[in-house]
Amino acid sequence: MAQQKVVVIGGGLAGLAAAMKLAELGVAVDLVSLTPVKRSHSVCAQGGINSVNDQTRPLGDDEWIHFDDTVYGGDFLQHQPPVKEMAYWAPKIIDLMDRLGVTFNRTPEGFLDRRRFGGTLFKRTAFAGATTGQQLLYALDEQVRRYEVAGLIKKYEYWDFLAPILDAGGQCRGCVIQDLVSMEIRPLAADAVIVASGGPGLIYGRSTMSMACNGSAASRCFQVGVKYANGEFIQVHPTAVPGSDKLRLMSESARGEGGRVWVPRTPQDSRPAAQIPESERYYFLEDRYPEYGNLVPRDIATREIFNVCTKEGLSVESERLCVYLDLTHLPREMLDTKLGGILEIYEKFQGVDPREVPMKIFPAVHYSMGGLWVDYERTADGGLTAASPRNQQTNVPGLFAIGECDYQYHGGNRLGANSLLSCIFSGLYVAPSVVSYFQTREATGEVPPALLEQEGRRHQERHDALLKRRSGKENPYLVHQELGNLMTRAATVVRDNDDLRSAIETVHQLRDRADRCALSDTGNWTNQNVVFTKSLIDMFPLALSILQGALARDECRGAHYKPAFAMPGIEADSPEEKRRLAEAWCDRFEENTKKWLKSTIAEYDSSSREVRLSYEPVDTTLIPPRPRLYGLVGAEVIEEVWKERLASRAGDVSGNGSGAGTKETVAAS
Amino acid sequence: MAGETNDSWLVRHEFLLRRLHSLSGLIPVGAFMIVHLLTNSSVQNGPGAFQKNVYLIHSLDALLPLVEWVFIFIPIFFHGIFGIVIIAGGLPNTSSYPNASNIRYVLQRVTGVLAFLFIVWHVFHMHGWIHADWWIDGVAKNLGGAQFKPYNAASTAGLALQSFVVIVAYVVGVLACVFHLANGIWTMGITWGAWTSPAAQRRANAVCTVFGVGLAVIGLAALQGMWAQGRGEALEEAIRIEDQQYNAAVQAGILKPNEEKRAQPSEAEPGREASVDQASARSPR
Amino acid sequence: MISRSKTSPEHVEVRVLRQAAPQQRSYWERFRVAYEPDMNVISVLQRIAARPRTADGQDVTPVAWDCNCLEEVCGACTMVVNGRVRQSCSALVDRLLEENPAEIELRPMTKFPVLRDLMVDRSRLFRALEKVKAWVPVDSYHDMGAGPRQSPEAQQESYPYSQCMSCGCCLDACPQYRKIELIQRDDETDEQFAARQAATYDRNFVGPHAIAQAILFNQNPTGQMNADERVEALTAPGGVQVCGNAQNCVSVCPKEIPLTTAIAQAGRAATVHSIKRWFDR
Repeated sequence: MAQQKVVVIGGGLAGLAAAMKLAELGVAVDLVSLTPVKRSHSVCAQGGINSVNDQTRPLGDDEWIHFDDTVYGGDFLQHQPPVKEMAYWAPKIIDLMDRLGVTFNRTPEGFLDRRRFGGTLFKRTAFAGATTGQQLLYALDEQVRRYEVAGLIKKYEYWDFLAPILDAGGQCRGCVIQDLVSMEIRPLAADAVIVASGGPGLIYGRSTMSMACNGSAASRCFQVGVKYANGEFIQVHPTAVPGSDKLRLMSESARGEGGRVWVPRTPQDSRPAAQIPESERYYFLEDRYPEYGNLVPRDIATREIFNVCTKEGLSVESERLCVYLDLTHLPREMLDTKLGGILEIYEKFQGVDPREVPMKIFPAVHYSMGGLWVDYERTADGGLTAASPRNQQTNVPGLFAIGECDYQYHGGNRLGANSLLSCIFSGLYVAPSVVSYFQTREATGEVPPALLEQEGRRHQERHDALLKRRSGKENPYLVHQELGNLMTRAATVVRDNDDLRSAIETVHQLRDRADRCALSDTGNWTNQNVVFTKSLIDMFPLALSILQGALARDECRGAHYKPAFAMPGIEADSPEEKRRLAEAWCDRFEENTKKWLKSTIAEYDSSSREVRLSYEPVDTTLIPPRPRLYGLVGAEVIEEVWKERLASRAGDVSGNGSGAGTKETVAAS
Repeated sequence: MAGETNDSWLVRHEFLLRRLHSLSGLIPVGAFMIVHLLTNSSVQNGPGAFQKNVYLIHSLDALLPLVEWVFIFIPIFFHGIFGIVIIAGGLPNTSSYPNASNIRYVLQRVTGVLAFLFIVWHVFHMHGWIHADWWIDGVAKNLGGAQFKPYNAASTAGLALQSFVVIVAYVVGVLACVFHLANGIWTMGITWGAWTSPAAQRRANAVCTVFGVGLAVIGLAALQGMWAQGRGEALEEAIRIEDQQYNAAVQAGILKPNEEKRAQPSEAEPGREASVDQASARSPR
Repeated sequence: MISRSKTSPEHVEVRVLRQAAPQQRSYWERFRVAYEPDMNVISVLQRIAARPRTADGQDVTPVAWDCNCLEEVCGACTMVVNGRVRQSCSALVDRLLEENPAEIELRPMTKFPVLRDLMVDRSRLFRALEKVKAWVPVDSYHDMGAGPRQSPEAQQESYPYSQCMSCGCCLDACPQYRKIELIQRDDETDEQFAARQAATYDRNFVGPHAIAQAILFNQNPTGQMNADERVEALTAPGGVQVCGNAQNCVSVCPKEIPLTTAIAQAGRAATVHSIKRWFDR
């Protein structure tokens, strides 16, 4: 049998994991990446990677609870079998990364040390200093280099993925790529293509994502017919440092250690922060949430900071939105010992000592839960069928998606320290599936050279036309800036149907303007101008999927928050009234679940350039959906009512949902 | 820039050559230099003390040239010439990166070249390199070389240092050698892995600095001592003592008479009477 | 601490050393960018890309440069800023103007072939990692349980080395690391050229980053099993012996990796290894 070859698009954690596992299975891999793979965005992940472990098991933790936490954190929007499989694989993945030489922090006895992260009660998170993502990526990069030396992996670094190549039968037979240095366009034949291209942060202009996270690879798959699912679910991190080039994450621990969030009561007070007297400072989180103060849950903090700047116009600066995160009242020695690392980062990039001058922070787009739609094959007990060709395969045969650019693992919101896990898991898990795909697919023979040539020529013509175009006067960078501002306003923290409708209209206009962009560089050597313009044009289909998905989804779920459809807590004096309201609340919750617990599926119509939405039911057979009540007024009574309903239902259908009740007490407490 | 597929001998044995270069700087070249400067500084105890040390060295007699070449000259040539190869492979950048260790990197190379040029000239100037009459009389002496006479050690050395240019060249040369050795020991400790951590390297640096300053003092003392023996009354006294020692040694049968290793009358201008007086003692056996 | 209250300029003058393609002549071009607070070199370059016009009003092609994470963890955006090699994302305009209020000077790295403007080809840097076998050669990626236990002290010793992001600062500042720029011959296929390139790179200095990686994997309990192979690579032509102890590497390393310690440890390993080999043969 001829050597099978797979093209992997993207060299982050997922792409590298897939490449090395495929190489181990004897499959040749062409690894295509916009940047040298060692520079992929995965390096930015700081916190850690989750798994159940021998320190948490004695406390009652197990894989099921990790699974439950993930599903609960994602507001039940994920298909449960893949998430379950991932949770059960997590300990093995960390063992493997440990064997690969990741410099995980250690206990005095020499075992892996763990820390606690949001959304769980257990110390599940293994970490390597404050650079876990970097360490994990390097370990995989090293293994890929090892196979590169052995000749099984060939890297195409500084190459852009232009499109998958589909044959007449709609099967993926390779892809077209372009050398970002020489601008050469080359079709690559392949037995399968795996897209591992990460998130689409650049659609929001500035985000916490890297410059290579432009979403273009996912969009180019979307435009040839791959479904894009749950696009509207975008995680926003409450505290990031707004830079003129990007938004850099500021860890939650700054508030944990006593940092206070405030704005001057006078809008855009021009005095330095230290000279603004206490009476003229508005500690809006402490004011509005006296109980939690600055440590309100993430999504609430995000919304309040966002509102105080946009709706109330109290941003510290007029040019850009930001609020103060103040540590200056805390003793220096304490700051140095507890927050030294993150304060140094702030100092390094802002040139200001946060121990003396309050930090300026603002929420920032951080992660896309949505992504390319992929399939899976379920086992009877609710796990995944190992090596099933359906796993991680998109609706285009032969085209697979893994990592942040697939939609499968995080539902409506992602748990901290779960992203590294899902990337490595999907990367490792896809490899045997791809191999089975080779065996199960119909015999297709050689990729017709004419097909390769034709696809190569098509993209060459498009490229040449773009270079020659003299018509427009639009500047792609300015169009991008407008798109980013628009998306940030309309589709991040707080969503409003009127805003979304007008944003969709504006996006159409911006797309027309992008079509008229004039290039400032018309040469054909390392032309970053044309590459950027292409990626900009490809941002619009995803932008529309995000906006349309958000507009259609009239509810609040996970990171998608529409105040008009929020379910407020209940306030009543008499227990009877409370009880009644709680019943009503639960009725409404069940109704909403029936109506909206479904995945948004976007499909692209290339002739009209429109995005069409449909919905797909979610497999929630393992853990029945339950309300997220954290921080809600009247949570106790709602929980009480909810448990009663659950119990009576368990009685009705014996066996179904067994155990869910006990798990719930852990996860909901 | 190498572009050929066949590596040169130099490339293939790069590690060995570099390590030999590193080693040769300390043993034997550096070690010899320490002994040499210590011996020469004994002139501070008078020309007689120095002369005694010279007799000790020259007691090797016929073996001396062999020892000189095998243990001193050839290693110096290897160290110097390969050092130039190393220098050619580097690209100093102290203007962009003026770190102390980077400046020392450049100084190590500058002092290396200075030291090598100085040593080549110094051996010629004092020793003459080759002990063959045609060379010494026909070439070396005419070019101002071979001025040192082991059996009139301090006086001939002192006389040879009287020119201002020469003494300045010696001060510069000796300091270059001392810096090169002291800093070289420090880098050698890193190269061979004796001191690895930054703290260890800092401590080693302090030790090397103390060693270097000490050796510089010894070297300068030797120079000053020699120079002082080459002028005025001290010169006369030195010659007198040296001749006395020579005569005594010859008479005691410890030393084979060897006029080649003594100052020729014409060379020592002042105090000739003393020499003439002793001329009778030079009668053949 | 920097004060930018009164002294903030209206514009930032930027001088960029440009080059259209490999082998072509480089030339300086001057840009004027409107000053904004909290700017770094990346945002300056972004402004230039958005409006590529020189200070004297000429429309030119945008400046090409390399970047990705903008958080100083990916290593992409290395360039020579005001004469010193560094990451341009953490090169803050206010700080640079303190160094030189007149202008900011941007040049490509000096030890790597220029592809265009500020973009260079750093493939030699990655080739060096292949040469020293910078990986743990595990048997398989199957589930074989956890790795060997390690003391926290050992982890603390290794961790700094594992932060190396292959940015190349140490190489650019190293006086012993010399630029190699090969040109593909007409009669050469891509593969032949790549092979010639690799062979040439292998013969020349591997550089401090690769030496540190070799030490990192020689410290790893599993990596230790083939420590000799790495030491062998470090004593091959272009190995640790080329180091001239200028110690610029450690002073420019943005991650403050103890590169000179790694070099000395490599020297020690080489000493032991070569003596052992000499007696054992």
